[in-house]
Amino acid sequence: MGTATVILLDGLAYGMILFIISVGLTVTMGLMRVVNLAHGGFAMAGGYLAAMMIPAGVPFFVATALATIAAGFLGGIAELTVFRPLYRKGELAQVLMTFGLTFVFIAALTWLFGTDVKILPIPDYLKGLVDLGFRPYPTYRLFLIVVGLLLFLLVWFVVDGSLFGARLRAAVDNPRMARAVGIDVNRLFTITFVIGCALAGFGGVIGAEMLQLDPFYALRYLVLFLVVVAVGGLGSFKGSFVAAITIGVVETAGKFLFTDIAAFLLFALVLVLLLWRPNGLLPPKSLA
Amino acid sequence: MRKSLLGLGVACAMFALSGAAAAETVKVGVIGVFSGGFARWGDQFKQAIEVYQKHNGTEVNGNKIEIIYRDAGGPDPAKARQLAEEMILREKIQFLAGFAFTPNALSVAQLITESKTPTVIFNAATSVITRRSPYFVRVSFTLSQDTAPLAAWAAKNGIKKVVSIVSDYAPGHDGEAVFVKVFKANGGEILDAIRVPLATTDFAPFFERILQQKPDAIFLFGPGGPSSVGMINTWAARLKPAGIQLLTTNETQEIDLPKIGKAAIDAIGSSHYTEVSDSPLNKKLRADLVAMFGPDRVPDTATVSAYDGMHLIYMTVAKLGPRPNADDVMKFWTSGLKWESPRGPVAIDPKERDIIQGVHLRRVKEVNGKLINVDFQIVPDVKDPWKEENK
Repeated sequence: MGTATVILLDGLAYGMILFIISVGLTVTMGLMRVVNLAHGGFAMAGGYLAAMMIPAGVPFFVATALATIAAGFLGGIAELTVFRPLYRKGELAQVLMTFGLTFVFIAALTWLFGTDVKILPIPDYLKGLVDLGFRPYPTYRLFLIVVGLLLFLLVWFVVDGSLFGARLRAAVDNPRMARAVGIDVNRLFTITFVIGCALAGFGGVIGAEMLQLDPFYALRYLVLFLVVVAVGGLGSFKGSFVAAITIGVVETAGKFLFTDIAAFLLFALVLVLLLWRPNGLLPPKSLA
Repeated sequence: MRKSLLGLGVACAMFALSGAAAAETVKVGVIGVFSGGFARWGDQFKQAIEVYQKHNGTEVNGNKIEIIYRDAGGPDPAKARQLAEEMILREKIQFLAGFAFTPNALSVAQLITESKTPTVIFNAATSVITRRSPYFVRVSFTLSQDTAPLAAWAAKNGIKKVVSIVSDYAPGHDGEAVFVKVFKANGGEILDAIRVPLATTDFAPFFERILQQKPDAIFLFGPGGPSSVGMINTWAARLKPAGIQLLTTNETQEIDLPKIGKAAIDAIGSSHYTEVSDSPLNKKLRADLVAMFGPDRVPDTATVSAYDGMHLIYMTVAKLGPRPNADDVMKFWTSGLKWESPRGPVAIDPKERDIIQGVHLRRVKEVNGKLINVDFQIVPDVKDPWKEENK
């Protein structure tokens, strides 16, 4: 019983990180219909920035906030320079360009920091173990689960309960109609892209313990992010939450129970889910 | 008159020929990795060679020792072979050296046999390599050499039950095989042998499983980099509080300890080189590395192997001259050579041309704010166990 709970918590923590990083990707892929394979690069950039600031004396939460903003800023620059020209060029051009951008990220970070793992020190009050009653559990993972849940609720509130969110949903469901009623879809694109990249940066910082930072991060975890987005449904943040949690828990439980075939198990599940629901678990109306 | 002129001519010619002792350049081709994810393996080789030449000069008996570096880029056997061929044919090297990776070393075996090029291996640690060509000598280590003494020590020192967890690739399988065999042979029990996929990001569930099985210790082998860091951190968070010890070979080298952090404290490592050993030669090596390359420069296995490799080449040139016959070199190398390395006393096995050295069992400790390895036992004169088993 105790072990099952621990596995569940581990899976949740892992899933939360995947959600936080992928939520930006699902919105940009769903809203802007742009294939952005460089998304992991923004997560990585955020992580590295924080990893530089913290040893220099910047407090953990301040560094996280700054890294998040910086990743968003980087996203804004990328949107203006790299992505705007790509909107009309079609998916192949987008795939090639963003894939190339990923390698630019990797090369830049290798040149700046070398190829070794970059350690992101977490504050002492988040380290150590918490007594859950039946056994001790790493404090940091509980922190991740709480942060992930709060973020999910925040995104839910913004998307379902605010004017901005309403406009966003309209533009995702039917961009032509949205333009027709006067919504500035292009400005929406930019703002959303910046927020998506900022969230990725945030995920990169707090997830650094589980998705370790090294220059090849952007490429290594790309498949995971794409799987979350594809299984969840492009453009659906609720879908990506469900997908991320499912993937996190299944992969973790799989590794515990069937260590030999764990990796295979996860992708078999993904295959089954996509065959059952090709548009994702909770696709937005425009695709369903 | 003619006869004496002829005699004078012959005398001059003989004099000129014997003057072959005058300034010849000995070319040593070093194949390392200087770019990409594994650049550490080339940088360490180069720095060690530069320190060696600072200690011992760049000449042996007036013959200049010239080092030519080539970048294999990573585990790339085709490229390694091409680079070796280029250096042998065009640069006309006298010695080939380097090789961080087993596939790269194996790829040149046939080439060096055909071209009769004496080759010194600075790293590649799979046991069988030295048998693939009679012109190979290895001055680094083999995985089974570092692993077997650990398993034997553990079984005799209160560790009865072990779970082995290794990365799922060939060196991981080899490490698992050696540990399991020696541990069982000494009366230990292996509860489980887990193989973790290389692409794994979150190791928690594997370690939860181990916690369920309640071993006395785990034997861990990782590929280095983020995976090894992740695994050791997960051990520290989940298993260390439950009193389960960590047995590992080269995962806790001093150069990697800052990345792992205090989680590594009390991890038991087994390696052929302990970085803080206070032999005068090692102290000098460390001091010069810091002086020449910066205060963060820490020696590790690649450094000390390249240093010893250069020493072997210098000894060879000193004894046989700058243009030695390849078979004379191999005879010299299999004549029971011994010398004092920064790591301690080493010898070359006359039959297998592999290194015989002491294996240090050590624990990670924090001393004066720095994480270092502290020896608690040294097993002397360990030959490669794999070769003993597979004659």
